[in-house]
Amino acid sequence: MKTLLMTSAVLLASALPAAAQTLFLDNATLINDDGSASTVDMRITDGRIAAVGARLRAPANAQTISGAWVTPGLFSPYSTLGIVDIGAESSTNDTRANTERYSASILAADSFNPREVHIANARRRGVLYSAVVPQPAGDVIFGGIGAIVSLDGSDDSIISETAFMHIALGESGAGRAGGSRGAAVQQLLSALDDARRSYLSQAHVEGDVFQRRDARAFRAVASGDMPLLISASRAADLRRILAIKAEREDLDIIIVGAEEAYLVADELAAAGIKVIIDPVENLPDSFDSLNATLDNARLLDAAGVEFAIAPLSALGTVKAGILPQHAGNAVGDGLSREAAMRAITSTPAEWFGIDLGSRDAGQAASLIVWDGDPLEVTSAPVAMYLDGVDISLESRMTALRDRYNPTVETDRPFKYR
Amino acid sequence: MRYLLPLLCASALVACGPVKDNEDADETATEKETIAFDLPTAFPSTYEPLPSVNALITNAVIIDGTGEATEANSLRVVDGRIAEIGTDLPAGDLDVIDVEGRFVTPGIIDIHSHLGNYPTPSINAHGDGNEVTSPITSEVFAEHGVWPQDPGFDEALAGGVTTLHILPGSANLFGGRGVTLRNMPATTVQAMKFPEAPYTLKMACGENPKRVYGDRGGPDSRMGNVAGYRKNWIKGAEYKKKVESGEDYTRDIQLETLAGVLNGDILVNMHCYRADEMAQIIDLSKEFGYKVTTFHHAVESYKIGDLLAENDICSAMWADWYGFKMESYDGILENIPFVHASGACAMIHSDDDKNIQRLNQEVAKAWANGNRAGLDISMEEAWTWLTANPAKALGILDETGTLEAGKRADIVIWSGDPFSTFSRPDLVYMDGALMYDRENGLKPMSDFRLGTEIAK
Repeated sequence: MKTLLMTSAVLLASALPAAAQTLFLDNATLINDDGSASTVDMRITDGRIAAVGARLRAPANAQTISGAWVTPGLFSPYSTLGIVDIGAESSTNDTRANTERYSASILAADSFNPREVHIANARRRGVLYSAVVPQPAGDVIFGGIGAIVSLDGSDDSIISETAFMHIALGESGAGRAGGSRGAAVQQLLSALDDARRSYLSQAHVEGDVFQRRDARAFRAVASGDMPLLISASRAADLRRILAIKAEREDLDIIIVGAEEAYLVADELAAAGIKVIIDPVENLPDSFDSLNATLDNARLLDAAGVEFAIAPLSALGTVKAGILPQHAGNAVGDGLSREAAMRAITSTPAEWFGIDLGSRDAGQAASLIVWDGDPLEVTSAPVAMYLDGVDISLESRMTALRDRYNPTVETDRPFKYR
Repeated sequence: MRYLLPLLCASALVACGPVKDNEDADETATEKETIAFDLPTAFPSTYEPLPSVNALITNAVIIDGTGEATEANSLRVVDGRIAEIGTDLPAGDLDVIDVEGRFVTPGIIDIHSHLGNYPTPSINAHGDGNEVTSPITSEVFAEHGVWPQDPGFDEALAGGVTTLHILPGSANLFGGRGVTLRNMPATTVQAMKFPEAPYTLKMACGENPKRVYGDRGGPDSRMGNVAGYRKNWIKGAEYKKKVESGEDYTRDIQLETLAGVLNGDILVNMHCYRADEMAQIIDLSKEFGYKVTTFHHAVESYKIGDLLAENDICSAMWADWYGFKMESYDGILENIPFVHASGACAMIHSDDDKNIQRLNQEVAKAWANGNRAGLDISMEEAWTWLTANPAKALGILDETGTLEAGKRADIVIWSGDPFSTFSRPDLVYMDGALMYDRENGLKPMSDFRLGTEIAK
């Protein structure tokens, strides 16, 4: 069964780019928007979903795949995709800017490069959307304004240039602000004050922490029109954030990291504060997360906290392709499959107002066809559509793979392949 | 046989030596009694296994780690060793552990870990993995920087890791001695040391040494790296010759490690990403008559699988780490299976306190991607990347790495298919002793975690 499936997948890879193709999915497991699964047959012709039903007839000349899984494009709610080529090479790394001139007004979108190799490498593993998160530098807690992008590699792949503001509190923010959490919180509160000033004067008016441009950029945060993404881990820091939210109800807060969020889960749920977690974080990486546990995702879900999943640990942001593995591990540790799927698709999409397209009959297809359960590490996409367009699953990695594949015999040096 | 060439080279070095005419050499040979280089030892292992079950594990789906599928469904564990593995073995006097059709595998071995020497919490006080004071620190021992209370050891055990190799970091050309540990919850590192396991030497290629020392006296380039290795191998060879000459000498622990490598007692484990650099290092090893046992990270091993196979050198690799530095830019998801398909020794490694907890998944990824690229690797073959190959590379394959009669009973019983994201080790045995029991909550806990929510 598995062998048959893979044969189809290989055929598919060579067959799909041609025009007027019909793809017939026999007995597919379709992941619905709520994360639940249905068993369906699906016929896709030239990127359009011609039919979805219980027992469709396989059309003649269709490419048929049995037992495939179908999902929307996966959404990584936290990465640096498109703004860094090689982390260790500062000339290629736009994730942070150590400048006194700008902080909160810096747009990740200005640095975003849809042809960066990690994008296609992540896409071929099923990740089709990402939040691109600029990082704080120097002595400020403000990273700047993050973007939401499609990873389709196209020149218009930025979906939202001004999707959220990223700041750091906790240990990281404290380090930026001079050494203490208190100083970091004061930067945030001062920023909210600065954002209220009018700055009508032509004179060089500065706020408490911002120059004019940064202060203006922060206005959408203060009004709640722009989500505020806060890096924080420790339960006590999360309580401070809850207190700020209680004072300033308009703030739309998403906490990223949140290793100890399960300790304040009920309060987070009541306050409507959302979190982005990495379910595999179970070590006390610092004194910020002494109580990190694999139970975090399960307990947050049980308390009704809205959460998304991202691979935040070692290199996760450049290896966004491991997103489904991390969601799958949450399931291994007790989270429901449905909640895990939502946490890498519909939940972050709703937060940022992103339409993941349709898996419905009569619509342009926006979906990924997998050769198995997407949460299993042994599975991979075999076809991908975005708004009816067939999206390539090739990348620099697959080019290297094909050049050096030991099953290929050639007399020429590798450079000719 | 494979060691013949290096040994000949080594003896050639000893015989010829630096600047000595034949007459003097003959005189020395007749008047002096030479001795064998005998690597001094210290800090002996005090490892004691916990009491073993004496039991028949039955009704098992066994991956025995040899690389071949087995029909065996039961194994007898007696006094910490695997007494017998076979089909429907009788229990006799033994207790019966009916695993009800679950998968049973050898305990996982991670050949590249910094648990203990870069422990959590990752605070400044815990940075004990790199002696960043000189590019040549073959005198330091990883074990002297290992904190047995690293909570990561406990979590790795829950991931099925029973043996792990702790290395110095990669800042230095010669980083120091590595140490192979049993994943024994202990208060001293000596109580974790794998009895009789050979020492290793960590070396490093490429970007790290030249970056760290570029403005601190060098090396500042890959040229400087190679010159640094050569200068010091010459010193190591001279030292060995001096010891063997029987003359009085002052003990030098830096050169002692190098002499131990040249003598074949210490296994070279070299951090190296690029294919062209690995090829240079292979030539370097031939120049000085030693053997590189394993290249670590080896992100480009897939480009030189044949060369690695020819020289019997293992590669310890990630499933999908790449791109964080220039020398890792060419990483592919099929590195491990491609190296394996070339006939070279391939294995997974973690280099990470999270990935070490799920190395089975890392291998599953690599395995599936290799087969998707047209290879035909069985699950049993792929399992060699988790246990037998790292055991071979660490010189402990006689003791662990497969489920074969006579070996230590290092056994993991899984909740499901170990190549599934959803499966977990249910039971982990070391030397036949139950060390971890997921269902019943048997799990060691570091002193560091006492008093936290985790301990409740």
